[in-house]
Amino acid sequence: MLGESFRPYFEWCGNTWLGTAVRDTVWAFPLIETFHLLALAILLGSVLIVNLRVFGVGKKYVPAAQMARQMEPWMLGSIGVLIASGIPMAFSEPIKCFESISFPIKMGLILLGIASQLTIQRKWVIAGDTTALKAKLAAILSIAIWTLVGAAGKGIPYV
Amino acid sequence: MSVLSVCEWIQNLPWASGVKHSAWQFPVIESIHSLALSVMLWPAAILDLRLLGLVMRRRPVSQVAAQFLPWTWTGFTVMILSGLILFASEAVKCYNSPFFRTKVILLGVAGVNALIFHNTVFRGVDSWDTDSATPWRARLAGASSLLVWIGVVAMGRALAYA
Repeated sequence: MLGESFRPYFEWCGNTWLGTAVRDTVWAFPLIETFHLLALAILLGSVLIVNLRVFGVGKKYVPAAQMARQMEPWMLGSIGVLIASGIPMAFSEPIKCFESISFPIKMGLILLGIASQLTIQRKWVIAGDTTALKAKLAAILSIAIWTLVGAAGKGIPYV
Repeated sequence: MSVLSVCEWIQNLPWASGVKHSAWQFPVIESIHSLALSVMLWPAAILDLRLLGLVMRRRPVSQVAAQFLPWTWTGFTVMILSGLILFASEAVKCYNSPFFRTKVILLGVAGVNALIFHNTVFRGVDSWDTDSATPWRARLAGASSLLVWIGVVAMGRALAYA
């Protein structure tokens, strides 16, 4: 999907110390992926708990907005861990990423997900009226974006 | 009949070998497995962290459990079902893998840990429901659960590359 002009940058990543170190260590990739998956569980778990709550799913001990506020630091923290663990994995097999359609889609969706979290999610869910249509729109967007990020990640070795 | 021959039989069932030989079925089911893991793991971890007094300290433990355990059970059900399909498609590889065997043992430990917690110290939750520092047996259950589930995820990943 990415143009050939991008190839040298990906090749460069693969030749860095980081790329070769991950490739040359047998257990490095599954170990890093474990942290990646645990962080993904925190992110996706929070996204689903918070945003399905906007649609009335789950116990109502605390307001949806409060849940969203409570979970946000965990979400942002897990995004940090996801990026920090994702970089060495991508550097270890950059050509696979370059040739995959899923990889650029995933990167675009991550930017979109972070942007939506810091804008509409904060404005319409955390600080807004969660019964309003705008909150529901932000909630459905958040669920869709982050679920697709996970699916696109799984898709990198395949398409 | 040995366990290995049962695994061979499972793997050769038409639907199981269908998953193995399809270009997309395995990764799609694996994605569902990971999504279910998120629904299961984070809510369970929130309760564990509450037992350790690290999050939601001012909320009663029983309320945190009532709010988050339904998510855990929903995710767990989907995770087991999707996991069984993934297992069936490569049952012999799993049988031979020390990582898979460890994963199954850890799942057993997680189950026993939860059973002990719910049938002992959690029975008397009324007397410590609002404490930010819970009884040591509750903290032990929370810490064990966190560690065991991290181990389960690690074994799952190791299995995929071995």
